[in-house]
Amino acid sequence: MNPIVSGLEALIDPTVLVCLLLGLVLGMLVGAFPGITATMAVALASGFTLTLEPVQGLAVLLTIYVAANFGDRVPSILVNTPGTPASIATTLDGYPMAKQGRAGLALVISALVSAIGIFASMILFAAAAIPIARLALEFGPSEMFALVLFGLTVMISISSKSMIKGVLAGVAGLALATVGRDPITGDQRFTFGINDLSSGVDFIAVIIGVFGIAELFDQLLTHHASKVRPISSLGRWWPNKAEYRQMGKPLAVGSVVGMIVGVVPAAGGDIAGLIGWDRARRVSQRPEEFGKGSIEGLTASDTASSATLGGSLTTTMALGIPGDSVMAVMIGSMIIWGIQPGPSLFTNRPDLVVSITAIMLIATILSLAISLVRMRGMVKLLDVPVHYLWATILMFCIVGTYATTNNIFTVVIMLIAGIVGLIMKRTGFPVGPLVLGLLLGPLAESNLRRALLIEGPIGLVSHPISAALIALALFAIIAPIVGRVRQKRTATAAARTEAGNALVKSSKGPHA
Amino acid sequence: MSHQLVRNTAVRRTLAIAVSAGLAVAGLSACSSPAESPAESPGSSSAAEETSFPEKDINFIVQAAAGGGSDLSSRALAAQLEEILDVSIVVENRPGASGSTAMQYVAGAEPDGYTIGFVPVEIAMLEHLGFDVKPDNYDFLGQIMFSPGVIAVPADSPYETLEDLVDASKDKAITVSNSGAGSVWEAATLALADEAGADLTPVPFDGGAPAVAAALGSQVDAVVAGAGETAQAHADGTLRVLALFNDEEHAMLEGVPTAESEGYDVLFGGWGGVYAPAGLPDDVKKVLTDAIEEGAQSDGFADTITPSGALTVYKSPEEFTEFVNSESERFSTLLP
Repeated sequence: MNPIVSGLEALIDPTVLVCLLLGLVLGMLVGAFPGITATMAVALASGFTLTLEPVQGLAVLLTIYVAANFGDRVPSILVNTPGTPASIATTLDGYPMAKQGRAGLALVISALVSAIGIFASMILFAAAAIPIARLALEFGPSEMFALVLFGLTVMISISSKSMIKGVLAGVAGLALATVGRDPITGDQRFTFGINDLSSGVDFIAVIIGVFGIAELFDQLLTHHASKVRPISSLGRWWPNKAEYRQMGKPLAVGSVVGMIVGVVPAAGGDIAGLIGWDRARRVSQRPEEFGKGSIEGLTASDTASSATLGGSLTTTMALGIPGDSVMAVMIGSMIIWGIQPGPSLFTNRPDLVVSITAIMLIATILSLAISLVRMRGMVKLLDVPVHYLWATILMFCIVGTYATTNNIFTVVIMLIAGIVGLIMKRTGFPVGPLVLGLLLGPLAESNLRRALLIEGPIGLVSHPISAALIALALFAIIAPIVGRVRQKRTATAAARTEAGNALVKSSKGPHA
Repeated sequence: MSHQLVRNTAVRRTLAIAVSAGLAVAGLSACSSPAESPAESPGSSSAAEETSFPEKDINFIVQAAAGGGSDLSSRALAAQLEEILDVSIVVENRPGASGSTAMQYVAGAEPDGYTIGFVPVEIAMLEHLGFDVKPDNYDFLGQIMFSPGVIAVPADSPYETLEDLVDASKDKAITVSNSGAGSVWEAATLALADEAGADLTPVPFDGGAPAVAAALGSQVDAVVAGAGETAQAHADGTLRVLALFNDEEHAMLEGVPTAESEGYDVLFGGWGGVYAPAGLPDDVKKVLTDAIEEGAQSDGFADTITPSGALTVYKSPEEFTEFVNSESERFSTLLP
């Protein structure tokens, strides 16, 4: 039978529908719950899906994967707390938008572009999974190091207010990333004999701390009644024509970035969101609005982090190598069902590939629908008095963080990160670079050292992909510096001619 | 199984069957257990003679996050233990610090049988890597699985046999990826280098899958990983498994010789069992040991763990304790 027909036919089953809905609800909830990631939810659910048929099980697991990617945007936008690491970049523009009374708009745009990102990447998966997955194999340690180095240049963009403060925060993040076991020799570093530190500073605890808890502390310590309320109103829901037009370019940039990063194993939505946001800023007409509630920034970050889903799925299904941590769990489940992801999946079970694609698309449509409908309920959430709201959020953050390791130490890390985040906020240090350093530091270090072990320094420049990425990274660092110098020169030059121009302008009137 | 029931008094036996049958039915209908053992009579629970253990839920500590191999084996066994012991087995993941967080937690728990856990091969390694983890602090209740290691090369590699690879290493260092610094596969690489006199450079990655990917993409010359992690790529022809570090061939890797048969005495793998804090009362220990023996040899357990390349290997508490100590001794010489 035609694999497309049989693949779709497998979905026409009431059980599959129930599984989809179950996954949808679970995914939305875990996504919105700070600390609890899609990986944990899929891992725990996989214990119960083992007895199901593969298509039913995949309906649960893939839908959790998709729905969590919608749910995690909500706390990012409303309370500056990323629901999962994939929505870190969402806080950059989503929360400022909410503070300006445009929360409704931010939520709708975020949901819309997330759906578009997933759709775009699923087209890639359906059309050319196997050839594209080969690209993933080209990414060895040198290429990974070069990509991460390129990712680190995002630091310059996030610290636009004060370059020095931003870079200092970034370096602090990188330094923090060296805590724990050495990735190559396994030696203890900066753990001070504390066993809980030997696997490093918990990343999820830190992001919840510096974003969410810091914001919460800040609100608690602010006594001006007018300033306390985080979000005064949700405002308008749907974007207007001009705003739709504004979304075009970042949407394209975000999709491309997301798909590429998604295909690379071990790089997921968190990195993609940040790189997508940065790339969009660099090509934008209004880069100065980024980080202050820019629709373009929100569009780029959410498209990019969502477009990693199809990319990860491509690597996972076409190579049998997990594209991200959720997919690592997924492979485990699939093997128990007797399905081996890998190139042979596409030749032996094309119907299953069709089913997977269809589940992903249906899950995306359902998640989008729920996101848009459910938003009306958010209005009520904001009616909750602020002192209850923040107390509840604090409780959720603590429970969610505890659940990641079942260890109170992780909660302590989160609270310390919250205090650090508060101090940084009050002294004008951006937390974005700190998080970026902590996220990318271990990847940069371990891959650099692997590359050096394998081939020595020559490998970094002899591989075309890594050489190109390193060149791009250098350009990204140098360009703004050159730009600034030039700006200063033209500014002085402009100042000289200003007087003359002003005379001409005033004679021609305002239309000049 | 049945012989233990015969030893029980008639009254106790009838009671046990009635209660356990009732509970088992209730348990089965209430929650779908991930792996049901087919045609197992509910009365076959091994309630030991003079003990009321277990009277409440048992916590089962796993040193890794949900979703990995250790978690899978633990949940598969827990499902069996629930049926056998008629109490809930609460699987609790306490990942972090190479598994030592969970191990220290178990060591510090009350030795009453209500806190047990999955013990991985790392219990024999961590002490030599500078962690505060000592096998003496535990009662080992039985080995339940073994996942043998392999060495594999990319499909387009010039090396057709393990010997080719060893010979080539005399001219240039061969890079071999593994799942991480201080992992069992890094140790296996070092052991092979030692045994064969080969110049192998272990390259630690962050997990087994990236290590295998590095070999698939020819970033490294070879990879040492678990049999299950390489079986599919071997079947697809994208990776060539040269040798298996076990004393018998693996069903998923047909035609792959053991390293032993190639002349290199390397036996290596990730194993797992069940442990408890040292000092369990004898009666409690007996109930748990019997239940683990039955669960680890059940079809339901095997059906869940074998597709991932693991083998069901059972060792009694005495054999397992001896094995852990001998492994610990072996790692003390291998690890830096």
